[in-house]
Amino acid sequence: MTDLILQALYSGLLQGGSYALIALGLALVFGTMRVINLAHGELVLLAAYIAYTVESGLGLNPAWAIPIAVVVVSLTSAGVYGIVSRIRKDREINSLILTFGIGVIMTNLILLIWKADVRSTSSSWLQEAFVVGPLYSMRGEAVFFIVSLLLMAGLWWWLSRSWYGRALRAVSSNREAAKLMGIPPARTELVSFIVAGMLAGFAGVALYSYGVIQPAYGGALTVKAFIITVLAGVGSIPGVLLGAVLLGVAEALTVTLASSALQELAGMMLFLLVLFVMPNGLLGASRRRG
Amino acid sequence: MNARPPGLAPVIAILVVGYGAVPLLLGANQYIMSLIVAALVIGCVALSWALLGNLGGMVSFGHSAFFGVGAYVSAIVTLKAGLPVAAGMVLGGAGAVLASLAMLPVLRLRGPYFALAILAYAHIFRIVATEWTSVTGGSGGIGNIPLLPALPPNLSGIGMGGKTGAYLVILTIVLLFALAYRAIRASHYGLALRAMRDSEDATRVVGVNSTLLKGLMLMVSAFMAGVAGAFNAHYLNFLEPDYAFNGVWVTLPIVAAIFGGYRTITGPVIGALVVYLLDQIVFKALIPTGHQLVLGGLLVAMILFSPTGLLPLLPSLRKSASRPGRNDHA
Repeated sequence: MTDLILQALYSGLLQGGSYALIALGLALVFGTMRVINLAHGELVLLAAYIAYTVESGLGLNPAWAIPIAVVVVSLTSAGVYGIVSRIRKDREINSLILTFGIGVIMTNLILLIWKADVRSTSSSWLQEAFVVGPLYSMRGEAVFFIVSLLLMAGLWWWLSRSWYGRALRAVSSNREAAKLMGIPPARTELVSFIVAGMLAGFAGVALYSYGVIQPAYGGALTVKAFIITVLAGVGSIPGVLLGAVLLGVAEALTVTLASSALQELAGMMLFLLVLFVMPNGLLGASRRRG
Repeated sequence: MNARPPGLAPVIAILVVGYGAVPLLLGANQYIMSLIVAALVIGCVALSWALLGNLGGMVSFGHSAFFGVGAYVSAIVTLKAGLPVAAGMVLGGAGAVLASLAMLPVLRLRGPYFALAILAYAHIFRIVATEWTSVTGGSGGIGNIPLLPALPPNLSGIGMGGKTGAYLVILTIVLLFALAYRAIRASHYGLALRAMRDSEDATRVVGVNSTLLKGLMLMVSAFMAGVAGAFNAHYLNFLEPDYAFNGVWVTLPIVAAIFGGYRTITGPVIGALVVYLLDQIVFKALIPTGHQLVLGGLLVAMILFSPTGLLPLLPSLRKSASRPGRNDHA
């Protein structure tokens, strides 16, 4: 039993890597623009399907899809920004409905192009066992977890050291003050969407490399990313990583101890629990109650 | 401050067309009638969604929860407890209200947090319906749900097919709900809710319990969506979790309400008729799988170019559909 639980903790940890990338993208955009992009999960899914096409069409390892996926998805994400930024009135409500609509469009485009079948990788390199002591995972899971950590470290460096990274944080914490400091908010918002798209592109390839994908999965991914940002509280990369790992672990434990049908329920319960007990998230400080 | 009384003409027109022209002219065409019934079901959910958005100021992506709970409660009480269908439908609405009580804590959250928390609830209810097999039949679903009472034979003799009875039932439900919506909007609750939309803080300062009012609107909205779900269960006499809690019950009503104008009462219903019929007759023929693509596009275009909906732009309908402007002094 202990073995099983340890194994579940380990699998949850690995799953947390790509969840964190997805959630970071959502959080970046929410930070700069106060917009929850409900099409974010569909962006991730688009990348996953690009990886599928590269593998099934060109016969390459899905990892080779990363450059294409990152470029295509960040361009798409920039396109989403182009549409969202046109909203004139009631941005909070309208942006939710608008990105919901974009999500519906993307889900159905994916359905049209790639059909409704469930897909998963056939690469034996990625699926081979990777054993650390008593713990087991697929090689793809371990590799992509490490790369996710590297990407997060890179993102942390970028946000704290580069001009645009700091501009992004400045706009998140105080938009008016940032404007007075000569930071163009519109361009910063665009950058946040592009970076979110790049992270989503990478995460999508990772998801395809060790999981199964289907067109309806996008909405669930958005919800997961949102749950993580709620767990994390706004504005902290370690918080997002912690939230992502928590979600991954909660899901894995539910699958191990109860049933895989209840997997989604675990995340939702965690979400509602945190929302009611610690409405500012585990590490965050900002208010979100009315 | 009361809403202006509607002119008598549009009301009579709706009654004549709804109860006279449509069943007499189209009643024999089973296919068209089934489309109209489905459109009215969506119109009912759209009305309930718009009530929450317009009066309560809340965007919900979780109305499928109320729809599904209403459907299941009604199906179970009529099938297992042997209650009549009409009582089952009312209980279905009540069940959805109970479900909304579980959501009350969410009301303290604002904006995207509310919208996504309610989405989380919708997922939870779907999973519960799938897993609680002893009551819901699990993913296999429930069959043989009692049908709506049949039309008296003397009426079905005059060229009205089997769908007409169901049509008259759902039309009556939608009209009753529209009247209830109107009454709420004209009451002093409606006034307080309008004030809350302009400034919730200021409204609380003058002594309005905003959370209570929002909770009431959530319950009214849940009741409407629950009755729609219950009607649909008895109309189709079959239920399964993936159908009852399907995302379609969120997407279509939102598109319909935004298309018709979610700040009006007639808008969501007319929007549902237009959008659903277009979707089924035109879009589905053009793109058999993925025809919701067009609906998503429509939603994006509406938000960008005319977020208050198309109907308020039509001056003739404006008189009956619009409410006092939002700048009126309270």
